[in-house]
Amino acid sequence: MRPSITHFAALLAALCITLPAPAATERAVVDTGQVRAELLAHAPEGVAPGKPLWVGLQLAHAPHWHTYWKNPGDSGLPTLLDWKLPAGFSASDIAWPTPSRLPVGPLMNFGYEGTVLLPVALTVPAGFRADTLDIQLQADWLVCKDVCIPESGNFSLKLPARAVTVAHAAAFDNARAMSPQTVATVRASAEVSDGALIVRVAGLPAAWHGRELQFFPELAGVTDNAAKPAARWEGAAWDARVPLSPQRSESPQQLAAVLSHAGATAGVQLALPVSGAWPALGSPATAALADAVVTPAAPPIGFALALLLALVGGALLNLMPCVFPVLSLKVMGFASQAHDRRSLLAGGLAYTAGVVLSFVALAGLLLALRAGGEQLGWGFQLQSPGVIAALAALFTLIGLNLAGVFEFGSILPSALASARARHPLVDSALTGVLAVAVASPCTAPFMGASLGLAFTLPAAQALAIFGALGLGMALPYLAASAWPALARALPRPGLWMAHFKTVMAFPMFATVVWLVWILGQQVGIDGAAALLAALVALAFAAWAFGSPLLGRRARAGFGTAALVLLSATLLWAVPSLRSEAVASTAGPAQVAPGGWQAWSSERVAEAVSQGRPVFVDFTAAWCVTCQLNKRTTLADAQVLADFEARQVVLLRADWTRRDAAISAELARLGRNGVPVYALYTPGAAGPRVLSEILSPREVRDALAALP
Amino acid sequence: MNPFVATTLAAALCLTGGAALANAAVGQMAPPLSATDTSGKTVSLADYKGKHVVLEWVNPGCPYVRKHYDSANMQGTQKGAVDKGVVWLAINSTAADAYDYRKPAELAQWMKEKQAAPTATLMDADGKIGRAYGARTTPQMVLIDPQGKIVYTGAIDSKPSARTGDIASATNYVKQALGESLAGKPVSVAATQPYGCSVKYSSM
Repeated sequence: MRPSITHFAALLAALCITLPAPAATERAVVDTGQVRAELLAHAPEGVAPGKPLWVGLQLAHAPHWHTYWKNPGDSGLPTLLDWKLPAGFSASDIAWPTPSRLPVGPLMNFGYEGTVLLPVALTVPAGFRADTLDIQLQADWLVCKDVCIPESGNFSLKLPARAVTVAHAAAFDNARAMSPQTVATVRASAEVSDGALIVRVAGLPAAWHGRELQFFPELAGVTDNAAKPAARWEGAAWDARVPLSPQRSESPQQLAAVLSHAGATAGVQLALPVSGAWPALGSPATAALADAVVTPAAPPIGFALALLLALVGGALLNLMPCVFPVLSLKVMGFASQAHDRRSLLAGGLAYTAGVVLSFVALAGLLLALRAGGEQLGWGFQLQSPGVIAALAALFTLIGLNLAGVFEFGSILPSALASARARHPLVDSALTGVLAVAVASPCTAPFMGASLGLAFTLPAAQALAIFGALGLGMALPYLAASAWPALARALPRPGLWMAHFKTVMAFPMFATVVWLVWILGQQVGIDGAAALLAALVALAFAAWAFGSPLLGRRARAGFGTAALVLLSATLLWAVPSLRSEAVASTAGPAQVAPGGWQAWSSERVAEAVSQGRPVFVDFTAAWCVTCQLNKRTTLADAQVLADFEARQVVLLRADWTRRDAAISAELARLGRNGVPVYALYTPGAAGPRVLSEILSPREVRDALAALP
Repeated sequence: MNPFVATTLAAALCLTGGAALANAAVGQMAPPLSATDTSGKTVSLADYKGKHVVLEWVNPGCPYVRKHYDSANMQGTQKGAVDKGVVWLAINSTAADAYDYRKPAELAQWMKEKQAAPTATLMDADGKIGRAYGARTTPQMVLIDPQGKIVYTGAIDSKPSARTGDIASATNYVKQALGESLAGKPVSVAATQPYGCSVKYSSM
């Protein structure tokens, strides 16, 4: 490992073919074992003022050894040429050929392997009359494999002035072909933005379009050499986000750079005017990762604004698919009471009270459970298979009732039945309760931030936010019931109501399908089958006890059979509804297709530290918005192609069942429900949280902005 | 979250994470640092709270390191700093399977022969510290102020060459930054590009 710094090779006087007349020249070669360095010249019209004259150092590297470009990258040094020329001669800077990226572990260098010629143009002074030109060169280069050796050599060359020197024309032609080209159509600029240099280049050669390009800044200490720029093509324009170096030492207003691609002989020379403000040197260009993880994406919002957002979000809940079945119940209520304004308004108020109180009660329960140390979030009630099964049973019964299979009057104890008949307001209030039970997991847009804030507030304020949410949800009905014109617009009661009632049974059954599917996600196909069996037994019992068409004896017979059947089914079904019983069944996260992996915070940290972006889909089977996004945007071919192109690690955090880790992560993102879509960028200021109603455009834009 | 905890966590993530270099940059809190020195004793950055600390990435196999040791430039800078109460930690992040890895005793012997004067010479064969600080070359220098903040990172001096003769005319950035920081002044040149050999990181 001793340095072979000065390996002076003998100056070999050798024949150099010069045309047309042979002339004596000298050439110098230094061979260090790692590099064979040779001083070459190219004088196609002799040495005379105004005529082209090139000299250059040719470096032939031993296999796997390399020397460096003008910006060597993370380590290394550029080759230095120090010329000694007769008075009046001047030498240009090296016309550096297009470099290659040379990775060294986690580091990135820019330089050359194989054989490369570093050409320099010489200018001949006007009065030059001599017969020969004496050229002397001292060169220093650093040659590295895994070991680095600084080497140097002294070279001299005597050129005939009156003869052409073209023996190395091919080498110089090759060097010219490798040198970055200035392309007239190219328009390039750069902007400093958010810890990165946003480079925009238009007018690149057609053969380059769509290729993965390499960005070589000529100035060291600006950008992160090892990072791959996040780039995309838009027609003939190349847009890239090149992260700034954490050890940045320069803030240029003009940056020269070379753009190339793996198959190109020569790159394209860029002169980038830099706009935007450089971060102050000494202030970190990129925030620490840990900062990023805990930065809530939604800006903290004030209490009054949260209340308002909750109100609006609640109103929007009515547009969510999960509320449709309950919507149909309400429309029926309107139809039957349309011409009795007072009872209509009273019903509207009762419904409102039911909705608001259930929201507050549910939130209170949630707060109490959280205070008791449970890691729960909004929608928690649907994480319990028991609740899902009970809701499925309830909707089945409502559906059967609407379809006319049975009458409540036949089943309910007479006192309760008459109480219900005498108090339609109770009925309205109960409809409100039902609406909340079903609607609560649909975290509408606007609600995400509102709910996230709610759980960080004192209990009274949190409950107020949920109250506002309920009020918002009930508001359209309240307004409708208080607005006579709307009531008058409905047709008079008649036979159509019977048909309408039957038709409304079907949205109820559709809801049951949804609930069974959720249960299937939670406890597997056995549990779903058990629930369906229990529902069949329940339907049979409802008919046996409630059908107005059955006589007393038939009812007794069928009733007994139904009770036995129902008890037996429940006995068999209930154990398989416990999520623990089948907890080992692979959930959707583990078996999901399309490269999705189960989420864990460790996996996020690991991928990010390896320099890979991470997209996390916080989802749940019972979340309708989540399922919609999953089947549209997250299944979009272009979105998937972009994920692939950026090598994004796709993680899915499935909250269908209770999961304390996911609840905690949602809290750190300032959220309390799903869906949440988070994009983690290595070295960026934080995970970027995308909107709940996800569009392919938004995802692709976010991906394009990746470094 | 306060910046110290944030940086600590960031460093911890990077330490567990693998290949990527960290973002330790001027103006940030220095990542925590704990390693055994050449005699097997554990040394932590936390032990030196309230003091200036210089980190020097060293590898005797690197000609650029030898440029500054053969000329006694590095030892002189070390002595000057340590005499002023500054802590100097020389760190070797060379992987154990690299051709120029030196065992702790060999490294200690080399430092002794060179009459080097660091407070401690630390072994970082798995490269965790080097990666956490984004060390790219040997030599590479980091200066941490008494508050634990990085105030300088980069080269030892202003002449990136292997020639000993360049040292005399070069600006010693570490001496300059240390002088300014000890005088309570802001560091005028806080970030430069380090030059030298690549740190031979383990592949982990």
